Amino acid sequence: MNHRTILHCDMNAFFAAVEQQSNPSLRGRPIGIIGSGARTIITTCSYEARAFGVKTGMTIYEAKQRCPQIELVVGNNRKYTATSTGINQIFRDYTPLVEVFSIDESFLDLSGSLKIFGSATRIAMQIKARIKHRFGITCSVGIAPNKLLAKLASEMKKPDGLTIIPPDKVDATLEDMPVGELCGIGKRTKQHLLTLGIRTCGELGRFPRQVLKKRFGINGEKMSNMGRGIDLSPVVPTSEKDEVKSVGHSMTLPHDITAREDICRYLLRLSEMVGRRARRYGVTGRTFTLTVRDNDFETRSVSETGLSYTNRSDEIYRAILTILERFPLDKPIRLLGVRLSGLRHQVRQYTLFPDDHRKEMVTEAMDDVNDRYGNFSVSFGSVLDSERGARVISPAWRPDGIRYVNVE
Amino acid sequence: MLFSIEKEVFLKGLGRVQGIVEKRNTIPILSNVLIEADQESIMLTATDLEVGMRAAYPANVKTNGKITVSAKKIYEIIKELPEKEITFKSKENCWIEISCGKSVFNIVGLSSDEFPHFPEADVSKMFPLNSSLLGDMIEKTYFSVSTDETKYNLNGIYFKSVEEEGKNILRLVATDGHRLAMTQREVDTAQNEELTSGVIFPRKGIMELKKIAEESESDISFGFMDNSAVVVNDGTVVVMRLVDGDFPDYTRVIPKNNETIVDLPRDQFLHALKRMAILSSEKSKGVKIELKNGLLEISSSNPEIGDAHEDLEINYNGDNISIGFNARYMIDILQVLDGETIKLAVKDDLSPGLITPDDGKDFLAVVMPMRL
Repeated sequence: MNHRTILHCDMNAFFAAVEQQSNPSLRGRPIGIIGSGARTIITTCSYEARAFGVKTGMTIYEAKQRCPQIELVVGNNRKYTATSTGINQIFRDYTPLVEVFSIDESFLDLSGSLKIFGSATRIAMQIKARIKHRFGITCSVGIAPNKLLAKLASEMKKPDGLTIIPPDKVDATLEDMPVGELCGIGKRTKQHLLTLGIRTCGELGRFPRQVLKKRFGINGEKMSNMGRGIDLSPVVPTSEKDEVKSVGHSMTLPHDITAREDICRYLLRLSEMVGRRARRYGVTGRTFTLTVRDNDFETRSVSETGLSYTNRSDEIYRAILTILERFPLDKPIRLLGVRLSGLRHQVRQYTLFPDDHRKEMVTEAMDDVNDRYGNFSVSFGSVLDSERGARVISPAWRPDGIRYVNVE
Repeated sequence: MLFSIEKEVFLKGLGRVQGIVEKRNTIPILSNVLIEADQESIMLTATDLEVGMRAAYPANVKTNGKITVSAKKIYEIIKELPEKEITFKSKENCWIEISCGKSVFNIVGLSSDEFPHFPEADVSKMFPLNSSLLGDMIEKTYFSVSTDETKYNLNGIYFKSVEEEGKNILRLVATDGHRLAMTQREVDTAQNEELTSGVIFPRKGIMELKKIAEESESDISFGFMDNSAVVVNDGTVVVMRLVDGDFPDYTRVIPKNNETIVDLPRDQFLHALKRMAILSSEKSKGVKIELKNGLLEISSSNPEIGDAHEDLEINYNGDNISIGFNARYMIDILQVLDGETIKLAVKDDLSPGLITPDDGKDFLAVVMPMRL
């Protein structure tokens, strides 16, 4: 079998780098990107801040403890999505097989592009230079025979790295690599593996497959392959035709809430966000999921599938409320999420009876106004008191197509 | 219990209860048929607690008795037996022996004690309806009944009697929220209290009623008790629980000022729609209907396949009007009509269209447009 050539590109401190580019006074200084909410955390920080030990996920207090001079910048997601779209555009000049993994990471399958551009290294250099020139951002690139190793390679040198794992160096590279470095092996799995005496990828690869399979099920087999540097998963280009499987929104509340009316208000708001997005994509769904996280970070999700399809905010809200009845609500709530799935394309059939018809017309009119003047320009009266939704970029964000959401 | 019965007769009787027995098997006895032998006939009873049927069939009964057995299994068995007399015998512990020619089946049933009580119909208060008239009226409305179980009040046909110019009129209306069909006939029965206020017959019950109306040539008797309708015909009794809900005010949605009215050749229009629907999108079945000078143009397009259009020459000289409709809805209506021409009355692309037979009497259908 011919070897594939996969490139993984990871933007270095992406949000921070974008902010430093748009505001020169921030360059060379420790900065941290935070959310706009009252209880935000550091979402990214510049390498200057990392030198002080500031890390993603720290509270502002913790960050200031380590680096009192840190400059905090409220993230502007629209800037990031626009930059990411532009960067992925550059990737597409080298191959159509670009898989957008997240807002700052992409996989490129270069197997078919080498003839045109010479070598993978040359492509990597060009990409790095173009991104640096156009956006002023550095990135770490990894090149390897598959996605697993390409991602591992890009992690090996940061910032501004370029690491190549050629097919004949795979075993040597993995031999002493701690298993936790592999994408897909988290803290928990690492602990489990440690109890089996597995610390490095080499040990993982040599471990009896059957035992792993028994212990971890289907993932055991996958892990055994990972230990040996085998990953057959293809680079799946993200395209317009990507079928969206669900539409969901969640938000961490500005402060914990307990009153049912407050919960309902946020749920109505989330239902409207979900409904509006479903309508924009012309999809309707009939499975509704409510997610509730309490102040002990215990998260529970309950789904219910109805009989008829909808994308109307009021109907989503009503379905979500019936699910809410099943939650005990005995603890303050930190996060709420609403999701619509079981989707199919919407049929634009008008309804006969005036009540239904009027609701459809109102929804349409609201969407028209909100399309022109921004989300929540017109909305339900009862959401007026609540604060605006969490401005979070979902992992499902894609630079174009149905997944594209202009996050602000 | 011991009886013998002709295969044809037994099979017909068991076939009729197949649509009634509970298929989800939540209460086991409801998937069984109750068989009661008494003197010269056997009585077959099935119910899902919403709709129940009980009918008598001639048999040669040696000893009386009763037993229940899986309606589906016994139907399958009887269907495959040779065309001969079948002997049915119940033994101890609810075992049943069925023999015919050289085949012998031993199957286990359930005691009849657990079978739900089937109400006795009070025949004195019943009124008759002509079975072919009823069958025709059901056919003309049934297709519009909603299958969306959340709209429970639309899951049936609304029966209502009204008095117009001293005549007693029976009206049947069905709608799924997107379209509506209504038919009415003069009946010579006296006013009935339930019908005057209007009742909703459930979809499943309507199915059984339609079968009876199609098979029978004699009148069908109707009556109401508790919240159920009772239907009696030739020794068959069907009891169905009426839909508990208000039927929406259908009179409000029948358009009264659709001033653009065209006569269309029914058969041509129907076949053109069927052709155009092939290229409409799988889910929406949307076709565009355009009225132009002297023409009605039907067109459809599907981004993944292609497009199609067809003209019908008609007598029209008004403004151009273009409306999207679900082809399925239109086809359903045209298929239940039989005149040579029909009338289509429209207003604009947001308002309901109205289809009536040429004489404009006794039937109308309302269809909401769709956005294409």
